[in-house]
Formats: sequence, C-alpha cells, structure tokens
Amino acid sequence: MKLLVLKEKLKQGLSIIEKATGKNLNLPILNNVLISASNNLLNLSSTNLEIAIKYWILTKIEKEGKTTIPAKFLYNFISSLLEEKLTLEQKDKNLLVSWGENSTQIKTQSVDDFPIIPEIKEKEFIEVNNLPFCQAVSQVINFCSITNIRPEISGIYFNFKKDQARFAATDSFRLAEKIVFFEEPLKLKKEYSFILPQRTARELINIFSTEGESPKLRIYLNSNQIMFERLLSEISHPQVELISRLIEGEYPNYEEIIPKSFETKIILDRENFLNQIRTASLFCARSNEIHLKTDPDNKKGILIFAQNPELGESKGFVPGNLEGKESEVVFNYRFLIEGLENMKSREISLGLNGDTGPALLRPVGDQSYLYVLMPIKNT
Amino acid sequence: MDKQELWRAVLAQIQFNISAANFATWFKNTSIVAKENGEVMVAVPNSFSKEWLENKYNKLILKILRELEENVKEVKYTTAGSALKVRQEPLAETQPEIQLEFQEFRVDKATNLNPKYNFDNFVVGPFNELSYAAATAIAKNPGTAYNPLFIYGGVGLGKTHLLQAIGNQILADIPEKKVKYLPAEKFISAIVKAIKEQSIEKLKTAWQDIDVLIIDDVQFFAGKEKTQEEFFHLFNALYQKNKQIILSSDRPPKAIPAIEERLRSRFEGGMIADIGYPDFETRVAILKSKAQEKKMELSNDILEYISSHIQRNVRELEGALNRISAHQNISKTQITLDEIKEVLKSVISSPVKTTNFKKIVQAVTEFYGLSEKDVLGKSRKKEIVRARQISMFLLRTELKNSFPDIGRKFTGKDHTTAIHSFNKIRKETETEERLNEEINLIKQRVYI
Repeated sequence: MKLLVLKEKLKQGLSIIEKATGKNLNLPILNNVLISASNNLLNLSSTNLEIAIKYWILTKIEKEGKTTIPAKFLYNFISSLLEEKLTLEQKDKNLLVSWGENSTQIKTQSVDDFPIIPEIKEKEFIEVNNLPFCQAVSQVINFCSITNIRPEISGIYFNFKKDQARFAATDSFRLAEKIVFFEEPLKLKKEYSFILPQRTARELINIFSTEGESPKLRIYLNSNQIMFERLLSEISHPQVELISRLIEGEYPNYEEIIPKSFETKIILDRENFLNQIRTASLFCARSNEIHLKTDPDNKKGILIFAQNPELGESKGFVPGNLEGKESEVVFNYRFLIEGLENMKSREISLGLNGDTGPALLRPVGDQSYLYVLMPIKNT
Repeated sequence: MDKQELWRAVLAQIQFNISAANFATWFKNTSIVAKENGEVMVAVPNSFSKEWLENKYNKLILKILRELEENVKEVKYTTAGSALKVRQEPLAETQPEIQLEFQEFRVDKATNLNPKYNFDNFVVGPFNELSYAAATAIAKNPGTAYNPLFIYGGVGLGKTHLLQAIGNQILADIPEKKVKYLPAEKFISAIVKAIKEQSIEKLKTAWQDIDVLIIDDVQFFAGKEKTQEEFFHLFNALYQKNKQIILSSDRPPKAIPAIEERLRSRFEGGMIADIGYPDFETRVAILKSKAQEKKMELSNDILEYISSHIQRNVRELEGALNRISAHQNISKTQITLDEIKEVLKSVISSPVKTTNFKKIVQAVTEFYGLSEKDVLGKSRKKEIVRARQISMFLLRTELKNSFPDIGRKFTGKDHTTAIHSFNKIRKETETEERLNEEINLIKQRVYI
C-alpha cells in the first residue's frame, strides 16, 4: 500500500472514526482503525461491535492495500504534524509515514483479525436534510432511560411516515416528542418505526450536524441494523457511513400518556420562568424538589418555591395568564430545566393535572415539540 | 445427537483451534436453531458475529460438524428477531382514544377507598343476601346496627366490593365521618414501621379517632402476634366508643389458624355473614351489569354461555368479559358465540391434570418415607395408618373414586374405613394448617 494524503483530511477522518473504537479487553483490535486504499479512495473504518463508522477520503493512491493500527494513537500522531502532504506506505509489518525530510515507522497488526463490518444490502433508503434531522434528535436525546433494565426505552423511538417523522424518548419520569414535517413528502410506500440506541444517536449528531458538507442524509434499514450515509461532495460515493444495531422490543404506546386536558393551564415567559427555577434550585434539598403554586395571594401568575432546612428558602414569582383551578405541584427542578432548555420560543405553556397527574410543557406557537413530566408525589 | 449437544460438541472442539479471546467474543450466545436435510442453522446474537462466522470460521465449523454428523452439508447463520417495524399502509389518523389513567389515582388517599365500589353496582343474589342486608343496615346506622360485622367467603366473590361500598356509602351520607379502609397487609406493615420508628403511640392516637374501621383479609393476622395485640387494643378502644368495625376473611373466625382466642371471640361477637357461590341467574345478572358498565352489547346466549362455564368466581367472570372486550376492540365487529368459545377456551378449560392410583400412593409413601407395601398392607402402626388415611383422602378428592373402590385397593379394608379416613382428614385440614401444607406438598408431587 502506498498513497499520498492531505493531513487535514486524514485528521478529520480519524477524528470521526475514532469515536467508534471500543475498549474490549478480549479483542484489543477494536482500538484500531482499518486503513484500506483502492480506486483512488482511502477508507478508514472502526467498530466496537455495536456501531461501526466508515469514512472515505479522495486521494492519490500509488499502490492498493490494507493495514490496521491503533486509531487514537494515529490521530494524536497526525494531529501533532505541521506538514500538509503526507505519504503513507506499508513496508513489511510497518506503516511508514513520511513528509519532506522526515519519516516515522508505526507497527501494524494483522488485517485478518479486524472484524468484518456487516453491510446492509437493502437498496431502498430514506433521504432527509441532515440539519433539521440532527437538531430534532438532539431535542429528545437526553431523555432516554440510562439503565438497561428496560432496553426498549434506553433508545430513541423513530417513526417515519410519508409527510412526517416522529422522535420520542422517555425515562418513565418524563417524555419528549419532536415531530418534523417534511415539505416534500418522502418517497415511502410503508411506515417505518424502530428504536435507535442512544449512543448511536450521539454519534449521529456528532458526525452529521456539520455544515458545509453535502446537506442530505440517507437512511438505510434492514431487519435489525441501520445505516446513516452522507455522500462525498465531489463524486457520488459515500463519504461517511454510520452503522448500528437497532434495539429489539416494543416501544411503549407513549401517545396515550400525553395528557389531552388539564385542570390548570398557564402561559409563561420562558426566559423568566427558567431563571426563576435556576435561582430556586440553589435552595433545593437533596431530592431536587421545587414547588410550583398557581395564583399565590390572588396575583396572576405562578410562585416558585424551594426550601432547604440548612440554607433557607427562595420564593420567586412569574406573572402569567391562568385558566382552570388553582393547584400546587412538586417537580424535580432538573427535569423542568432540561425540558425548558430544549424550547426556543419566547413563551411556553404549562398544563397541570393536580399534584399527581402528568404535566405538559409546550413552546407557544410551535406544535412540533412537547415535554411530559410527572410530578413528585407530595407526601 | 440433538441440536444442543451437537453445538456443545462443536464449541468444545473449536476452542482448541482459535484464540480464547476470539472464542469468547464470537461464540458467545450462539446456538443451533434448526437442523434439516443436512442444513444447520446457527443463531448468532448480532450482525458482526454473523459476518465473522460466515467469512472466517465457516470452514472450520463445517468440518467439525461433518466429523460429528456425516450428513451435514451446509451451515447458515442468522440473527434472530427483528427490530424494525414496517407497516404496509400508512394508517389514516386513528380517532382519539380514551385517555389511559393510573387506577391508583382514583383511590382516595385519606380513606383508601376506591369510589368505583358502591352498592349500586353490587349485584345481590341468594348467595350474598345476608351480607348485603347487614352491610346496608350498617351503612345506615354505623356503630349501632351490628358491631363488628364479619364477612367471609371465597376469593373473587365480592367481599372487598361490599366492604368498600359500606365505606363509600357512609362517606356519601355523612361526609364528616372518618372512614379508614385497610387491607390487613397494610395494617401489619404500618405497625411494623411504627415499631421500627418507635412511633407506635402516634399511630395509635391517629387510629383512635376513626369512626369506621374496615380491615380486609384479617386471616393474614394469623401468626403475627404483635399485630394481633395492637389490633386487640384498637378494637377494644373503638368498640367502647361505639365505632363501627368491619372485617373480612376468606374463612370463618373459627377456621383462622394461629389467632388468639380473645380476638377470635371478639370477631364472633357481632354479626357473621357469609358470601357463597353465586347461582346461575345471579351470574347472568352480574355479567349484565358489568357489560353495561363497559358499554358492551352481548346477546343473552353469550351471557348464558359464559355464566354456565365460569361458576365459582366473579372476578373470573369479569376477566372473561375483559377478554371479549379486548377481542372486540381489535376485530371491530359484533362477536359471535363461536368466537366467544374460541376466545374463552384458555379461561374455561384450564389444562386438565391427570393422575392415577399408583401416582398418589407413590407420592404419599415417598413423602412420609414409608414403603408402598406397608401402606397398602395391613400394618396398624400409627404413622402407616396416617399415610394410608391421607392416601384414601387424596384418592377421594383427586380421583373421585367411590368409597368401596378405595377400600378394595387396600388389603382387608372396606368402604367404611375409606369413609372414616376421608372424614377424619377432611376435618383435620379445616383446623390444622400443617396438615394442609403437607397435603399441598403431596399434591405437587402427584401432579409433576
């Protein structure tokens, strides 16, 4: 193998595929990147046996071939160089990297030990714009359950229909749902739904939410795998592919949990509400409890109250228009903040259902996002 | 060799051909799922293992399989299950469904009563008339009519319904009355907690100003001495002040084992009413009222079919209705009698357990560590006679053998011995919890 490559491109590729390397004591080769050169394309791949990333760089290849070396090490090494053009050459069991007057030798390992990355043979794909897609995923990604006791809610639920895609995540204390409406309907004959592992979703956002690249993202599916793909901007060949397993299981029928009516509903200024909660949160005791009380002393609005026997107490007031009856509800302040942070509108609406029923947060003027939150039972 | 053994043999050999690390990574959670016409299907946990086995180890696996079984020609690999859900036709938006809710939220926290139980939806028949009459009388005049009221009856016959209905009725008529419904288990855990936190006095004073105390399933007090003691004092305190006490159990006070005599006599001091098994007409009436509640329309044929096949348990009747309702929701069509028979097959005909004379005698002798010959023989040693009597009892209850027939099976015995044994053991099971346990253990052995 012998090839000439631009340092910046190689560094960028390594920084992406390095994310999928695994720390497996049984199989140290999972720390490696597989480098293969053919047809004027340099391919970098890595995997941790759950997800795999492949990355292609258009480059000048003098002799085709394959090799594998530790990915993190190679990335650190390449990053430290100042030179622009690098020559990579395989000699016996070493990889020679040379530029100008300098040269380095890196020990390689046998390519035969590197896992084979499964391919998705299905030719059909779903094509979406990468930025709105990644942004939608990032609005729900933090609400997956972190334990593996119920694997089906440890991932994000995806549902694709012709004209819309839904993304949902829940950890059984709260639930977030984002809907993306497509301006041009997808060329879908069927409706697809699946559960994507949270880790894959994080990589998805890392890799595909960059601007200045090809703006389209293709999604390939088979019965238990998924592949996200972006093409090179110069030629019609993939630039990067993210391959992952899907989570098996039945996602809970979450739509039935979303409350449809409320005992109390109030419109609040988001920024003000968020600030008041942050202030009050400093006074929360260990259980993160924060009290919300509507219409305190007949003032229109909501009282935010937290108390800590050691520190003291905080009372904040946010004015707002109230419908329905008065109520007092206790929430975990972190859950409230995390929901509000994912909303961008100036005002939000908060629907309450007494001190035990689910509450609903929605940005005013945006029907595509909602956040359901269970109160802490006030005993 | 069966599939499991075959794969075990393959794994046993492969580990010598590849490194331990590779073996641990790629062969974890693999198995043979099918073996037909020389084709072996191996299930692997993920696509990575599939690719690796297909491309790297296929030859090796095939070679080892051939050595073990000559007729193997091909090995295929599959990842089980499917995580992708595809719906052929994107469905039109479905009409809004009824909002699901948590059942517990309906329960009133102060009283523990569930408002869904009331007298209006309690179906009265000859089997529960007495209890119902007593309950309504108490609801009208709490504390004076019958105190305490003790209701007993089998599972799923409506004890809890009646108890909670009394509480709800009293609350509706006189909202300022303090009603407290406590399942025995909650009562016990409250006392245990109070003892641990040394707040028993606080608990006592809190309970002393209850106007109507309802305790469900008091048979669970059996053997819990401290609970019994606390309950005894609470009972006396409330009784003195003419506060109403209502209790329920699955058996009469006399038959509750390990309960203190002074408590037992207090249970019996007021009114004891039983709830028996509903007759056919009542079962139909119950079904009708439940169906109405669920807004289901079912023909009389169907109601009669269900009631004639589920006889001993009202809860099972409701379960059968739920099944039908679920079925109707899916199919969206009016359900026919034949479909009902299909839907309820598993509810009605629970798997038939069979046994025979030999199994019963064997189980009994093994359980007591005696020899079969002794039990079937003439010996009149005490422990052998006991085992013989239990065998006869089981032959009668489990096989429904006739008494003369049972007598003949044991050397030199006739039907009078069999009848005596049966009656004796039956009587003892009513009072001796230990014997009951023994018989249950023997039954488990019989039906293995």
